[in-house]
Amino acid sequence: MDSAREIPDAEAKRGDARPQTNTPSGRTASLPSRSLSGQVAVVGVGTTRYGKLPDHDAYDLGVWALTEALADAGLEFGDIDGLIVNRIADYQRFGEITGIDPGFVTITPGQGRFSGICIEMACAVIAAGLARTVALVYGNDGRSAGDRYGGASDLYGSGGAGLWFPYGMTSPGAFHALMAQRHMALYGTTEDQLGEIAVTFRKHAALNPSAVMRDPFSLADYHASRFICEPLHLLDYCLINDGGVALILTASERARDGKAPPIYIRGFGQATALAGSSFPPEDFWRAPMQKVAADVRAMSGLAPDDVDALMIYDNFTPTVLFALEGFGFCPIGQSGPWVADGGLRLGGRFPTNTSGGHLSESYMQGWALNVEAVRQLRGECGARQVAGARHVQYLAAAPVVTSIVYGSAPS
Amino acid sequence: MNAYRKPLPRLDDANLPFWDGARRGELRLQRCQDCGVCRFPAARACVRCHGTRSEWVATSGRGKVESFCVFHKGYFPGFEAELPYNVVVVALDEGVKLFSNLVGIANHAIEIGMAVEASFERATDAVTLVKFKPVATT
Repeated sequence: MDSAREIPDAEAKRGDARPQTNTPSGRTASLPSRSLSGQVAVVGVGTTRYGKLPDHDAYDLGVWALTEALADAGLEFGDIDGLIVNRIADYQRFGEITGIDPGFVTITPGQGRFSGICIEMACAVIAAGLARTVALVYGNDGRSAGDRYGGASDLYGSGGAGLWFPYGMTSPGAFHALMAQRHMALYGTTEDQLGEIAVTFRKHAALNPSAVMRDPFSLADYHASRFICEPLHLLDYCLINDGGVALILTASERARDGKAPPIYIRGFGQATALAGSSFPPEDFWRAPMQKVAADVRAMSGLAPDDVDALMIYDNFTPTVLFALEGFGFCPIGQSGPWVADGGLRLGGRFPTNTSGGHLSESYMQGWALNVEAVRQLRGECGARQVAGARHVQYLAAAPVVTSIVYGSAPS
Repeated sequence: MNAYRKPLPRLDDANLPFWDGARRGELRLQRCQDCGVCRFPAARACVRCHGTRSEWVATSGRGKVESFCVFHKGYFPGFEAELPYNVVVVALDEGVKLFSNLVGIANHAIEIGMAVEASFERATDAVTLVKFKPVATT
């Protein structure tokens, strides 16, 4: 019998179908179901080289990453019965060139928030028995294709179909500069504190042979880097590069037969702040983050103190501050001093983005951070390994907030 | 006289009352005739009550700076000569937010929370932009 289909029965046996109470906002208090904890595992991860790869388009990068992930898992293309494609233009073409006919397929927009969304969707698909082995495939040829994140072709940041271009407003960077300025005014956050994030992630990247940018820099170098959109400097911005990432997820019961040690998805959650989202959120997305933090904690049974390392979506340095505060890893308004004290560093309170993240490893829009979480828990990270890591949490602060806690054990 | 080189708004039918108002020195918003909530840009239905009856009304043009940033990189033709230029988020008294530019003040003197009022800047015969200036304190 398909083990994935046993999950609803297992839930019933555990008596976990607790009554749901409606909150004042109309949300259902006990969603997502706690019984999902540990039911799905990552059994394969694959990454391409990162950088400028002009001989590869997004499809090529996706196939490359998927081939690596399948080899890592000890599986074949024909074993894939669920396919979730992100940033690659067409799922049909992707299936055509890989020769697969999955029983479940979908495609999602090329926004970084969708890495977390896709992984969570894969968990739901597997738990519901719609597929047994889901491949998540991401390919990004943005560097070679000359993607722009500001100006007339800006589709990512300012929205409004160019409504604000007459005032010179454009780019996700400016959106985050506006948020950073407000955080500085409210809490006294400083450029030095933002700089510490960039310096720290570069130090981590120096220990990662796969990272695009590995030369360490100082806070003085940070200040000397030019402003793009003040208060943000060039070194507050993520890279733009080519690359691909793939993950293979399956039901935990099936995962134990695999080639790589399974890494279990212990908890996950999602909340949105779409209303009014053309403008920076006055609360730095705190409300949806607090909801997701509570949901993840309820599902996983794990609190911030149980987490050994963090992977934080770092499109720009301020996002790291917002995530730390919103998810309760430091007090509200205190993220600046907290990072300046070394909280993010290897050996610090919560080693974060040990790969170098989007700022220094590779702009893989959250995908490579989730892979780094898996590799940390497998103990594969060499000089940047967090000794004895058992739980690693991914955090993404955006109009769609997601978080995923990975564990080396299912419970 | 040199041609205007910065990006211009698309004058679609739905938002034409806003631009007509700007040319006459009025900041107009679309107001829900069912619940009174204002909105911009134009939308078929109210974001709060989802009613579809609406009218365009002249507003006070007053608000507060919610945040600001200063562009040092030029993304558009026509802005290079003005680098570094500011962009502000203004929260209008009517609850609507706008991105705009703050004029009549040095970038380094802008403060979050400052009271501002609309200041209309002709771009072309058809387009007047809604910018903001600090409210004079007495």
